[in-house]
Amino acid sequence: MNLAFEEVRHGVGRFAATTAGIGLLFTVVLAMAGIYNGLVDDATILLRSLHADVWVVQQGTRGPFADTSRLDVSVESRVAAVAGVRRARGLSYQVLQREAGRGNLRFALVGLPWPECRDDAPPLVAGRGLEQAHGELVADASLGLSVGAKVSLAREEFTVVGLTRQLLASSGDAVVLATLADAQLVLADLPADAVRTERERRAERLRATDLGRGQPSLEGLLADPEWRPPALATPPIVAVLVEADDPARIGEIRAALAAWPDVSVFAAAEEERLLLDGVVEKPRRQLALFAAILLVTSSVLIGAIVYARTLDKTHTIAVLKLMGAPRRRIAGMVLQQSWAMGALGYAIAVAVGAQAFPHFPRRVVLDLVTIGAVGAIVLAVSTAASLLGVRYALRVDPGQALEG
Amino acid sequence: MEALRAEHLSKHYGAGATLVRALTDVSLRLESGAVCALLGPSGSGKSTLVKALGLVSLPDAGRIWMGGRLVVDGDAALGSLDVLRRRHLGFVFQKANLIPFLSARKNVELACEIGGVEPPRRRTDELLAYLELAHRADAMPTELSGGEQQRVAVARALANRPAILLADEPTAALDRERGRAVMELFARVAHEQGTAVLVVTHDHRTLDLFDLSYEMEDGRLKA
Repeated sequence: MNLAFEEVRHGVGRFAATTAGIGLLFTVVLAMAGIYNGLVDDATILLRSLHADVWVVQQGTRGPFADTSRLDVSVESRVAAVAGVRRARGLSYQVLQREAGRGNLRFALVGLPWPECRDDAPPLVAGRGLEQAHGELVADASLGLSVGAKVSLAREEFTVVGLTRQLLASSGDAVVLATLADAQLVLADLPADAVRTERERRAERLRATDLGRGQPSLEGLLADPEWRPPALATPPIVAVLVEADDPARIGEIRAALAAWPDVSVFAAAEEERLLLDGVVEKPRRQLALFAAILLVTSSVLIGAIVYARTLDKTHTIAVLKLMGAPRRRIAGMVLQQSWAMGALGYAIAVAVGAQAFPHFPRRVVLDLVTIGAVGAIVLAVSTAASLLGVRYALRVDPGQALEG
Repeated sequence: MEALRAEHLSKHYGAGATLVRALTDVSLRLESGAVCALLGPSGSGKSTLVKALGLVSLPDAGRIWMGGRLVVDGDAALGSLDVLRRRHLGFVFQKANLIPFLSARKNVELACEIGGVEPPRRRTDELLAYLELAHRADAMPTELSGGEQQRVAVARALANRPAILLADEPTAALDRERGRAVMELFARVAHEQGTAVLVVTHDHRTLDLFDLSYEMEDGRLKA
């Protein structure tokens, strides 16, 4: 006869109510683990979807996602000329937040070179990939945009032509794909007043020089649309994605590019590690600390509940001892209840999580390994939590059974 | 046949000015199949004696034999107390002290399991039938009357076929009629099952049911 089960069955309502509370705590622990998984997944999903063998970024930086990187667009064609490179693609990346309707639309705008991006469309759940050089976007479905939706950026109207699922940046923001030219257009967008002010500054600087004072006609060139230099330089790209024509030549390409003084070069695995160590490390530690605090809280709570239940059973335990019940049976009764509380609480957590996590703003990724690992931790926590109760139970004097 | 023998048991609590001699040189003998009353006013040492004989609180000095085997020598038990209690003793308390989350049947069945009786279910049915409780087997303790609860407690105490049954004021919580019925039950158990029964009681009106009675006063035993 299992005494723990019999007692739980007798007071199932009270036990279930207590366990439900524990279950909610475990739900948060599970969410922490799932958010961490999601963080790692989100951080790497875009990187992996770009299928680069080698990443070329600004010299001395660890860009483009873990660090700010700025490369001149010419680097793309220079890299393409290196022996063994099948393809080199410039990439632009910026996180934008724009008003849309009553809320904000926040996303990472990734610019891909045209026309190569026509063949590189990530898996779509609706619509099509980018098929025109200008005015089209492929957005992640989590933004809530539909195919055909219009988005205003840089005083231009863009049309959403396709939707991806779970294509997120390391920040957790949904990714929107555009052609590199469109993305740079958005990046270079400045109010007309700012452009005019910059032109006026140039004229002022020219007037301050001997050349400007001696040849006032030069000032006219600044205003001539045919000669006018742009107010801003061509917006930079953040990285060049390199694909080797033979995987065996990746090392060779990397070595060649590493010799250049203006770039840093990373293999795909290194880039992924940089991203995880940089972007994910602090949130990971934060989540781990939260989870640890919650586990300690759960442990204290289960311990207090089990201890209180054991105190309630003092007389019963004394009777059992007087009857000669072995110590392991008495300890087992307390321990098994703690396990039952942990196991049921965890089952509630998994069930609640399955319903609630899909509605979380950040992705919560739970796989069987995570569920199993957190379950094992819950088992350990439940065992530790029961120790005080077990200790008390084993110290109950059987003589108390004789005392009325 | 001798079920229990105790010789020269002594027990004291405290020291110096607060020294209390709970038992002084107590010797007694219980025969199998005999029902014996232990009388005495409050504080006379009855409960201390039952605790000593029940291997709950060992004496400071003296010896106890159970079934002819020496089990306590001085203040030391010669074996595991749990095992000795499981093997030789059954207890009935002032209140029934049934386990509140188990039915009458399961209370008895648990005692059978602890006592190592196989199969526990058959022994349980046997005892419930013997104590005329078969029809109340599935009732929870709160659904049983005081008398029924005490009968279940007796069934539980007999589950491991003990040679010695110790009952500490088992009728204290019952009215006169039910109290007498329980005492009759002890006499019946002793005579029919061959168990040595020692009952602590204040109730002199049921003394006619006992084969032998002891009286305690100031920690000493008078036959």
